[in-house]
Amino acid sequence: MEIRPILSALLRSKTGAILVALQVAISLAILANALHIVNVRQAVAARPTGIEKEAEIVHIQVRHLVKVDHNAQLARQQAETDALRAVAGARSVAFTNQVPLSESGSASSVSADPKQIRPSATVAFYNSADSLVQTWGLKLAEGRDYRRDEVLDIDNDSDSNAFPKVVLVTRAMAAKIWPNAASAIGKRLYMGVGADSQSAEVIGVIERLQTPEGEVSEEGEWSMIVPMRLTNGYGTIFAIRAEPGQRERVTREAEAALRKANGPGNPIIMRIRPLEETRKIRYRADTSLSWMLITVSVLLLLITASGIVGMASLWVIQRRKQIGVRRALGARRLDILRYFITENILITSVGVATGVMLAIALNQFLVAQLGMARLPLAYLFSGALVFWGLGVAAVYGPAWRAASTSPAMATRST
Amino acid sequence: MFAYYFKLGVRSLRRNPALTALMILTLAVGVAASIATLTILHAMSSNPIPQKSDRLFTTVIDNGQLEGYNPNDDDPGNEQLSYIDAANLLQNAPAQRKAALYGVGMAIEPARADMAVISAQGMATSHDFFSMLDVPFLHGQPWSEADDKLGADVAVISSALSEKLFGAVNPVGQRIRINSFDYLITGVMDNFLPIPRFYRLIGGPGAFGQEEEVIVPLSNAVRHESGAQGSMSCRTKRDPGYQGLLKSECTWMQFWMETRSAADRAELQNWLDNYASEQRKLGRLKRQAKNQLYDVMQWLEHRKVVGNDNRLATYLAFGFLLLCLVNTIGLLLAKFSVRAAEVGIRRALGASRRDIFRQFLIETAVVGLAGAVLGLLLSYGALALIRMQSSQLKVVAHLDLQMLGMTLLLSLAAALLAGLLPTWRACQVTPAIQLKSQ
Repeated sequence: MEIRPILSALLRSKTGAILVALQVAISLAILANALHIVNVRQAVAARPTGIEKEAEIVHIQVRHLVKVDHNAQLARQQAETDALRAVAGARSVAFTNQVPLSESGSASSVSADPKQIRPSATVAFYNSADSLVQTWGLKLAEGRDYRRDEVLDIDNDSDSNAFPKVVLVTRAMAAKIWPNAASAIGKRLYMGVGADSQSAEVIGVIERLQTPEGEVSEEGEWSMIVPMRLTNGYGTIFAIRAEPGQRERVTREAEAALRKANGPGNPIIMRIRPLEETRKIRYRADTSLSWMLITVSVLLLLITASGIVGMASLWVIQRRKQIGVRRALGARRLDILRYFITENILITSVGVATGVMLAIALNQFLVAQLGMARLPLAYLFSGALVFWGLGVAAVYGPAWRAASTSPAMATRST
Repeated sequence: MFAYYFKLGVRSLRRNPALTALMILTLAVGVAASIATLTILHAMSSNPIPQKSDRLFTTVIDNGQLEGYNPNDDDPGNEQLSYIDAANLLQNAPAQRKAALYGVGMAIEPARADMAVISAQGMATSHDFFSMLDVPFLHGQPWSEADDKLGADVAVISSALSEKLFGAVNPVGQRIRINSFDYLITGVMDNFLPIPRFYRLIGGPGAFGQEEEVIVPLSNAVRHESGAQGSMSCRTKRDPGYQGLLKSECTWMQFWMETRSAADRAELQNWLDNYASEQRKLGRLKRQAKNQLYDVMQWLEHRKVVGNDNRLATYLAFGFLLLCLVNTIGLLLAKFSVRAAEVGIRRALGASRRDIFRQFLIETAVVGLAGAVLGLLLSYGALALIRMQSSQLKVVAHLDLQMLGMTLLLSLAAALLAGLLPTWRACQVTPAIQLKSQ
């Protein structure tokens, strides 16, 4: 089969071919960029928090209506913790001031050296008197967890200068604060800068613990855990790990246990959120954007395919007579079929070439205007393959109909 | 003639049903995608208070420490005010109305014993807030200036909360127990929710959050030592306790001022600059940074209320519409090309090229109209789906009259644009050749 006659036929009636090629080009440009963005967002949303088996974790935030003094708060919190630990199926309970991916929490600036002019970084400030390493199942990369006797109780209304002696940091945070050190264990970490800044010794490095914001950059894993109980008036968050498969029942019983521990005279407000739900909410915008892009991509393919089918059908009708003549002169069905498929591949190739350039241009625009990521070439290659495949599949039907044209019928009428 | 061509156009829809249906569907899907994303963009970038957006101002005063300050590359902090600055501005700024505000967590104990304690979204501000933002009231009114001075236990609540607690009864004058204190209800707001919620963009539920459920005087919240619910940034050390917070350089308050006219802005800026230099004499505001003044639209722009994702979705949707357009051109070309014989006869019988052009373009417009109707339905569907995604999108994903007209226009324009080339092609038919080949 020669390409020359197909080409010259195409050049004689360009409009339809140009329209099909244009559709392929636009589709490829949008599809490659859309799928790339979907993949980037999915990768972001799939990042681990550092918490083991997230499905087992639920967080209950307890808020009291009445503010009591430091000691009464500590006692209240202990009673609540004991009540939660007594719930059957609650494997581990710890209180915390904040939760990864919950999008609200506190951060603190820290430094390697108090004489620095600017702090080294701003990191998420987790604090607990219980072992978050144990309840959340965090992986210790180096060193040890803090002991109960290293936990400091701090009255937020008076002693502002007390600070625990030890602290746990994440691996990512250690790499940021001490970029050249082989190990962060034993290093002194300063809270902020200046001669009067408090400090603590790093006794453990956690493999990973995301911040409440869960930033997309490396900052998303700059967290530290400080062994202290800060009384700040109204309440705390309890992290509960349930036995596998029992989270919902444990949650219900934990809620009842907390109400009972506080008695009917002390109403509380609770906000209960499984970690899975926290994660879902954090990435909701990414998920909905992904779904929108996937929907558009599917529609794109459908519309482009329908365009190719429509055009090819039109050509088959228009060329009925010529096909008949060719068949009468000895062309086999296969030849006719091959003619249409080759023609389609030619058109699609022009579209793909234009589409690749268009995709790169669109990506440049998105990078410059909206700060999106750069498009890897692999998307263009696979996009090209998709459209070649789509083109052949779409043209096959009309081409088969053309090939089935009987020479006698085609040449007889009109 | 128009009516006749229109009728012909409607009839021709039936002539080639599969092709026509495909065309209308393609057009409708493209229009729906564009309209759905555009609606969200449109709502997000709309002016929440058009009658006075150019005379409402908020300000950012940089009170960070001098150590390590780099004017060109520095984190602007959380762009709120310290209590010191908020109190000074409230006292002295030359504006017609002024209000400082911050989020307060509210626990409400219903009078009915069978109802559990309710957690409500609350805010503390001064009585100017209500007149400044033209807050609509269902019952009652804001508290008085005297209440502000006294820090009285008075509250304005939302109609939704009123209904939850009191049913259909007008609750003005009744008491409500908030955070263990009894508050007198002075007014009930009637769906006060500017879109975007420009007055409290930082912290709290954000630009498209829910309405405030309880609003109490700022002086009252401070008197009860209510902590800030929202964002607070402390870049320097502070003394412990609530009094320590009030005296600190922590920033946690948002501030709005209304001037008599937009022209008073210069005076306000001038006053701010003087205020800052006075404060510098007292040893504060060491950075010498510029005191920023933003009106409503500038503030929305500055805080990037319209997210990049929304822009991305809109750009891609319009790219998609372009594809649908090219597709429709192809389909129309196919549709018209089989009618060359008809055109030939009409031309032979005396119709001019212009007549043919008009006929085919009107026929295309009919397709466009059908696409618009279907597109509108699809847009409604798409927006309903989008609304389910989050409470934020629930607020913005609604078609208004403007977008409704836009849908119609876009669909017609798209169809006519797509029809131009095929129609022109149809006009080129030479009657002689057509008639000969019959």
